[in-house]
Amino acid sequence: MREKEYLKKRYAAILSSTGMILLISSMVMLTPLLVLIQNPEESKNALSFCLPSLCLALLGGILWRLFKSESNTTLSVQEGGIIVLVSWLTVILFSAWPFISVMGLPFSRAIFESVSGWTTAGLSVVDVTAAGQMILLWRSIIQLAGGAGLAIIMMSAVVGPTGVGISSAEGRSDQLVPHVRQSARLVLIIYSAYAMAGFLAYFAAGMSPFDAVNHAFAAVSTGGFSTKPDSIGYWNSITVEAVTLPLMLLGNLSFVTAWFVWRGKFYFVFKNGEVRMQSLLMPLSAALLFIFTCQSIYPHIGKAMRVALFETISALTTTGFSTVSYGNWNSFGVFLLISLMLIGGGTCSTAGGIKQFRIYILFKLLFLDIKRHLIPRTAVTELPIWEGNRRVFLDDAKFRQIAVFVFLYIASYGLGVMILCSYGYNLSDSLFEFASALGTVGLSVGVTSAGMPDGALWAEIFAMFLGRLEFMVIIISFLKIYKDITPSGGFSLG
Amino acid sequence: MKNSRYIVVVGCGRLGSHLANCLSRDGNSVVVIDRVEMTLNDLSPDFSGFRINGDATHMAVLKEAKLKNADVLIATTHEDNVNLMVAQVAKKIFHVPHVLARVFDPKREEVYAQLGIDTICPTSVAAGMFLQAVANGGKGQNGTSP
Repeated sequence: MREKEYLKKRYAAILSSTGMILLISSMVMLTPLLVLIQNPEESKNALSFCLPSLCLALLGGILWRLFKSESNTTLSVQEGGIIVLVSWLTVILFSAWPFISVMGLPFSRAIFESVSGWTTAGLSVVDVTAAGQMILLWRSIIQLAGGAGLAIIMMSAVVGPTGVGISSAEGRSDQLVPHVRQSARLVLIIYSAYAMAGFLAYFAAGMSPFDAVNHAFAAVSTGGFSTKPDSIGYWNSITVEAVTLPLMLLGNLSFVTAWFVWRGKFYFVFKNGEVRMQSLLMPLSAALLFIFTCQSIYPHIGKAMRVALFETISALTTTGFSTVSYGNWNSFGVFLLISLMLIGGGTCSTAGGIKQFRIYILFKLLFLDIKRHLIPRTAVTELPIWEGNRRVFLDDAKFRQIAVFVFLYIASYGLGVMILCSYGYNLSDSLFEFASALGTVGLSVGVTSAGMPDGALWAEIFAMFLGRLEFMVIIISFLKIYKDITPSGGFSLG
Repeated sequence: MKNSRYIVVVGCGRLGSHLANCLSRDGNSVVVIDRVEMTLNDLSPDFSGFRINGDATHMAVLKEAKLKNADVLIATTHEDNVNLMVAQVAKKIFHVPHVLARVFDPKREEVYAQLGIDTICPTSVAAGMFLQAVANGGKGQNGTSP
């Protein structure tokens, strides 16, 4: 069985890389212990972090050492997909541990919180008023790490495999410089710079250092966990909101575009489709929201404008900070937010959703197709778009990928809404909440709570997970694993 | 660090793509240029550099590859003249410190040497090995040189 030998070798390499990721994640897991320096009385909870971290490190270390091969094998994109899937699942499982042991959450709730963190969604079932600082910081750190992505974090480490397999499987294929490891490091540097700037700005705006750290992490990762039940609305301050807006926009900006901004190449920034679309979509939506919804609800015109702008950007960047509750909003406002959440953020950023890039291309395609009917049949048409600093022409394969993705997205959205409806939530709440979960946004109309039924909870967990890893990777990886472990290997899709 | 040089590979055929894969895996920043888009798909997942689809005899394409920052240029197209021209441009205009070119015709090696371009000639390498094999009288047949 030569094929079996070959597969064994490949899976050894896969497990070794997975072990590496787990090892690094276990170190991340120790960071909440920093709270102890300031707050020694929480030391009784330290074990709840050390123990899972130790287990994870042990598991990772064993996998890494055991399957480490001498020959330098490079992983294909498919194999990278398996690594991403397995390590995400494991890391999520272990990250839920502290929630169970410290907060006493049931298993499903803890998993929900962990998934919501890693996918940078920001829907929460934890009572933040009862949670200690360590748990709060842990949530923010999960979001920070989840925003960058496991691949980026691992790639920037000193050792470990290179190659584009893992990073492209995690939806981080766009590169800043022509080597994947240096690119990963740059991304991490830019990202940390955001977080640092965010912390300083929040601190200057009057937050306590602890709140500033948490909100800075949650904002740049477009996560949206907050340390207050009222989220950003707790401060009700213009400065805090003014700090949050640019942070959310930065988190939403593709790292490639951010790299151009960093180097001052604004020509390419303005050529970028996502930037163009955003600069049209944001003011337009904010204005509409102001005119049709906020104006009538909030008597003070300044407050109404603030709310309109903040909620628009929070939804489109898939951050999920809120300054008000949506209970008294009219249907127009709710549906506008739903649409924005579905569109989502930029590619190769920390945001979720269908992604503006895909919407932009579909939009251009619409006009191209209309034009095609009006020009001679034999005329050659082209659809140029700017990708970084290059003008590229899109081919049919790209359109097919986008069409399939959007179909999957809409189909699972419909399915999810139906599940929520079946648990007795009304249609508008279900539409809103599931768009929020699938787009990893985190805005809530109150469906997500500690007391929600298990079925609805798991539906949202799957939605966040699928939404973050963009469907295809998960489907393909599962099929590949299935194909490789069935002895005949002979099965086909209908 | 030796393994983080900026290398531009012109031509992504069998040799070019192989070189690009190896260099990229070793940690170098690699940019590959080829005129045919299809050939760029032959690169393996080892390769994590940039791909440029264009004619390397055009200045715009070479500029796009940021050739002036390059430490090494390797010209591996199947046309000797294209390799020579790209190598010369890289040397004279972009001041690339180390320029390597493939040349098929052994007669041209001399010319390249005078222009200060390092060359590797597969023809003369193969010829040398053949001659050696003949001289050994069929003892070192496995292609491994003694």
